[in-house]
Amino acid sequence: MFKFVLNDAASYVRSNVREFSLNALRLLPQLPQLSPYDVNLVLRENEFVYNFPVDGVIRSYETNQLGSNWPCEDSRTEASFLHRNGFICGIFDGHAGAACGQVVSKRLLRYVSAATLPRQVLREQMKQGADSQSFLKCHNDNVDFVSMIKPMYEASFLKYVNQLLETPQRDVSSELVNAFLQLDEEISQEALTSNDVRTMNVALSGAVACLVHIEGLQMHVASTGDCGAVLGVLDPQTQQWHSKKLNIEHNADNMSEVRRILAEHPKEEHETVIRNGRLLSQLAPLRAFGDFRYKWSQEIMQQKVLPMFGVQAMAPNYYTPPYLTARPDVQQHELGPNDKFLVIASDGLWDFLPPSEVVSLVGEHINSKKILEPMRLPEGDTTLQEISQQLAERKAGLTRKPVDQNAATHLIRHALGGTDYGIEHSKISYYLTLPRDAVRLYRDDITITVIYFNSEHIAKLHSDVDQTEVTAPVA
Amino acid sequence: MWKLLQRSGNAVSVVPRRRWCSPGLSNAVRLSSSQMDPADERVLRKRKFQPQQAADLSEELAGQLPVKSRVVICGGGITGASVAYHLGLRGWGGETLLVEQDRVGGELPWTACGLAGRFEPSYTELKLAEYSIDLIKRLAENGLPTGWRPVGSLNLARSWDRMTAFNRMKSQALAWGMHCEILSPEQCAQHCELLSLDGIEGGLWIPEDGVCDPQLVCQAYMIEAQRLGVRIVEHCAIKKIHSEHGKVRSVETTAGDVECEYFVNCTGFWAREVGTLSKPVVKVPLKAVEHHYLHTKPIEGLSPDTPFVRDFDGRIFFRECEGHILAGGFEREAKMVYEDGVIPLSQTARQHPPDWDHFHELLDALLLRVPSFRDATLDRLTNSLQVFSPDCKWILGEAPEIQNYYVAAGNKTMGVSASGGIGRVLTDLITKGSTYLDLHILDISRFLGLHNNRKFLRDRCKEAPGKHFEINYPFEEFQTGRNLRMSPIYPQLKEAGAVFGQSMGYERPNYFDQQDKHDEFGLPRFRIAQTRTFGKPPWFDHVASEYRACRERIGIADYSSFTKYDFWSKGNEVVDLLQYLCSNDVDVAVGSIIHTGMQNPNGGYENDCSLARLSERHYMMIAPTIQQTRSMCWIRKHMPNHLRAKVNVADVTSMYTAICILGPYSRILLSELTDTDLTPKSFPFFTYKELDVGLADGIRVLNITHTGELGYVLYIPNEYALHVYSRLYQAGQKFNIQHAGYYATRALRIEKFYAFWGQDLDTFTTPLECGRSWRVKFNKPIDFIGRNALLKQREEGVKRMYVQLLLNDHDHEVDMWCWGGEPIYRDGVYVGMTTTTGYGYTFEKQVCLGFVRNFDDEGRELPVTNEYVLSGHYEVEVAGVRFEAKVNLHSPNLPTKFPDREREAYHATRDKPDQADLLSYGGVTTVKGTGIPTDGHGL
Repeated sequence: MFKFVLNDAASYVRSNVREFSLNALRLLPQLPQLSPYDVNLVLRENEFVYNFPVDGVIRSYETNQLGSNWPCEDSRTEASFLHRNGFICGIFDGHAGAACGQVVSKRLLRYVSAATLPRQVLREQMKQGADSQSFLKCHNDNVDFVSMIKPMYEASFLKYVNQLLETPQRDVSSELVNAFLQLDEEISQEALTSNDVRTMNVALSGAVACLVHIEGLQMHVASTGDCGAVLGVLDPQTQQWHSKKLNIEHNADNMSEVRRILAEHPKEEHETVIRNGRLLSQLAPLRAFGDFRYKWSQEIMQQKVLPMFGVQAMAPNYYTPPYLTARPDVQQHELGPNDKFLVIASDGLWDFLPPSEVVSLVGEHINSKKILEPMRLPEGDTTLQEISQQLAERKAGLTRKPVDQNAATHLIRHALGGTDYGIEHSKISYYLTLPRDAVRLYRDDITITVIYFNSEHIAKLHSDVDQTEVTAPVA
Repeated sequence: MWKLLQRSGNAVSVVPRRRWCSPGLSNAVRLSSSQMDPADERVLRKRKFQPQQAADLSEELAGQLPVKSRVVICGGGITGASVAYHLGLRGWGGETLLVEQDRVGGELPWTACGLAGRFEPSYTELKLAEYSIDLIKRLAENGLPTGWRPVGSLNLARSWDRMTAFNRMKSQALAWGMHCEILSPEQCAQHCELLSLDGIEGGLWIPEDGVCDPQLVCQAYMIEAQRLGVRIVEHCAIKKIHSEHGKVRSVETTAGDVECEYFVNCTGFWAREVGTLSKPVVKVPLKAVEHHYLHTKPIEGLSPDTPFVRDFDGRIFFRECEGHILAGGFEREAKMVYEDGVIPLSQTARQHPPDWDHFHELLDALLLRVPSFRDATLDRLTNSLQVFSPDCKWILGEAPEIQNYYVAAGNKTMGVSASGGIGRVLTDLITKGSTYLDLHILDISRFLGLHNNRKFLRDRCKEAPGKHFEINYPFEEFQTGRNLRMSPIYPQLKEAGAVFGQSMGYERPNYFDQQDKHDEFGLPRFRIAQTRTFGKPPWFDHVASEYRACRERIGIADYSSFTKYDFWSKGNEVVDLLQYLCSNDVDVAVGSIIHTGMQNPNGGYENDCSLARLSERHYMMIAPTIQQTRSMCWIRKHMPNHLRAKVNVADVTSMYTAICILGPYSRILLSELTDTDLTPKSFPFFTYKELDVGLADGIRVLNITHTGELGYVLYIPNEYALHVYSRLYQAGQKFNIQHAGYYATRALRIEKFYAFWGQDLDTFTTPLECGRSWRVKFNKPIDFIGRNALLKQREEGVKRMYVQLLLNDHDHEVDMWCWGGEPIYRDGVYVGMTTTTGYGYTFEKQVCLGFVRNFDDEGRELPVTNEYVLSGHYEVEVAGVRFEAKVNLHSPNLPTKFPDREREAYHATRDKPDQADLLSYGGVTTVKGTGIPTDGHGL
């Protein structure tokens, strides 16, 4: 099973190669040139848009995914809560196989939705025979677990909920952290107890996650690993876009994270625990789900893993496990009327575009997308002259008309084809036609979800909150 | 990989897309059953009435619906209402049933402009519109609400060509008995002071046009129809139209079956879909596009007498309507809806949000024309759908697929102007079998299967609405839906510089232009012929050179688009059939070619064709391109029952490539490539032989050219076409062979006074009127169709006569040209119209073919005699200017350096029957010079 090694080597080369990747591209033997139509087909294959039917904090979200690994190791899930107003979504970037990412993608949201539900409601629901899927409505979900492992995951969920019911309600951040850790623990237990090659595969592959939990005006972003969440804020005075990063990446660039790891292990290991910017010179993200090769004790490794996968499965210098944790870093943010959208994406995007550029691209896209929407006439009486002028303005805007309606696709297009002088079709075509075994060296899986906030509704909620604050003392 | 995930059961299930869900699904039994197709359900949901109600209704309806009705009209829109009304007038009210799937007059208010106008491009359409307007007026006089107001219509021109078009219109209109005036810009302002005269060259004022409310007119028709006994059933949808022996037998509706003799499809938007409810499918090529109407809020001081204004070059129109302005237009490229072809059944589901960006250009054109509208406030912009046919003309008549199945559809936005006339002619066709107008340009049989192709319609119908307001230039071509039918030698022709025109989807070289024939990659460019002027056309010199090649050397032309049928039988039945259908005697020696008409009972031409007798019991028919569907329809319909099973008729148009070589050297050229003796003695004029040409064999060669030149048409099995073409072209090099296009052969035949069906001849022209009585054999052993009518006409004398007119003092460089449809004046009195016209390159004059009549002082028609024709002094009015003309009754002999006795003996148009004998097989040697002297050019 050289897969781990290979995979990590790929991402290692990728990070170093990208600077001269375009030169390398030109050196490759002539690749087939895709037509713009073909490029659109590829880029739009996994597009999804959801407009929320009722007036809420979120107006809509747009998401897209472009695979590089095959099968694609990224997963994404978006869902609305069923027993209250709220939205939850996550992006999961798997490594060493897609299994862990897929499983976490499906299960984590269920855990979180149960955990943040008031205990009273949770208890009632469980009495009525609720299962793991009773708390959410997923929007773009057309796959389910195969029937062999589904009962096992249900049992784990039940165990988790019972555990929840015994503990008092905590704040959302703590519940999120708890849900992450519990799920990771259960993945470990399932692998060790069931003796199923599937669950072992889940435990030995890994996934980083970024999860957004929105209820009312409170937004929590829980992130494990190197996915990213960026908030797009419009300055009402200057009409400029600002980006606000809502998570800290857990990788070797993050000094506090490196310090944390070094502190957790004896001094003798300081040379080996992080090497070449990687955990045990193998793993790029410093926190992750799964990857129990860096978590299990040496005994477990000896008993369970090595007989199955051989000695290579154990990382060199593996002395004081665990080296890795799934504990997320949680940031809380109260939504304001200037917060227009949130972009969460796997590192495939952040490798190409910095957060500030992502925000300005989506901001621009919002403006130019107005042209794609049917014209809205102003309220009240309008003269034909006014309409004519408005149409002329729209017509002028048509020159800036974006190719993509979906902001996520817009970002992918810019990530792959962006140059100083605009989108270069041949560049996208190059990236998309790279041979399957080489493509991982040039681009990682890209998954993007853009969530649009309903500023009017947020403003209204804010004024309601202000009023209750003002009136409360009087009452 | 170990599989962890699977597609869940409730995921998106793929529903097969259905082209058309029969409206009959509201059937109660189907609804209650649980195995309903989700796609059906989706269609049902769009219907106005709920399924449960429908179930009740259908029980209720069961009593209302008769088990038998002579005529069933499907569709309760304005067209259906008009047909019902006219059937009622004809006394068929009690035997007529109109069914409507929703409610009658289902149009939402103001989704039509309500113009009752007669600005139409052809005589037939104009007459139909005129009748509609008179009918609306009559209904209004009888006290029925119609919203009729005779406000007149004002048509504006921004260009010189548009003014020419108006002038031509005015010349025609006077002749057709329609009042109109040419206006100066200032006079335009007098009729409508709102207008800005910026860029206006002038206008055309039609005082008798007016506006009405289409919905009220529809109701008026319905009320009258009901009074006349027509039964109207609403909420009843047609499920199937059953036919037996190729004739309509019954219809199956949601409320039960109705036995019927005639079925009329007036379903507007759905006519194409309803067409699919029968077997075989009736092809009604139509496609819906978006069409916007702008309504303002009431404008103060807006005169109720504001005329209906059309600014053609701005592509807009507007009218006053209950104190506000209703405006619209025809954009250059229309926006397609329901590209997949499924149109929702109810009006509400068909409501589309307005597309302001699309309407922008029209809005700006409107505000430019009427600056005061800038301050008008908007009420709404409605986006109603309109259907268009691929040639932007109405579709009516009997379906070629099923007898007694009539169609009236594709009324564009002009439903009101069309409805009355259409109702009348359809009623005539149903009750009498013929009507008072020649309808072939509107007839449904002008289409082929290709026209009904959904993708073809999608492409073409984007372009069709725009044509509505385009200048009606001669030989206009569509830009879309091209390169569809091409002969095997098409690439060679393109390489040779062909510029193409389309006829029945066939790409036909119109002329050859060596300039700029390659694109930037050095490949031959596909070019579409354009005239875009009413004067000397841009292709004049190219055609002149091709014409000379055909007259003096040798020309090679592609005739592949011509309709080609084979007729054969085991016994003598094929001769019996053709003797019955054709007015000429077809029982001639094997190898002869007969030119003959197929007459209708009134003696008019339904088809004009050449028949080659290939063998004792095998004929090949060559007919005009546009006859491909039509003549099959005519033959099937009139085939006597006892021959039906015995005679085979096959459309072999697509099996043969037709190459014509014409000119004095054509015989020498062909002799080089074949072993057969081609001397007149062994292969005379007007005969057929199967020849080897080059290395190929089995080529049907006809010694005629349809132009009056010496030459041959080679009907070549497609796989040999390229070979034979290459050999001919190679061998022809030493004679300086040249490609000739359709315009050149057309110029030849006009000068030679040859009539063509569809251009000169129509269903109202008899052989006696066009100098072809010698081709009618009254004493044939079999009584042919139209014989009695022709005999009667021979007794009484003809009321119109086909003549050739040569214009004097016409400068082809400067003056407007004749393009057909010019009025002919005899001694200052209007006597008729030209049909086809062209420049005679030998006469160096404009040559017009046309018909003259003889009216007495009270407007009665008198017989037209040769003396009458020849004694007059003629003038032809071209766009308002009259030119003196010399008249011919017979095909002239053109001066030539290559005299040929055979050719000179043949005059396509003449009146002396004795000459005909000269041409019968084997009789060529007795020719004597009987040519009518021409003006003396070159003689």
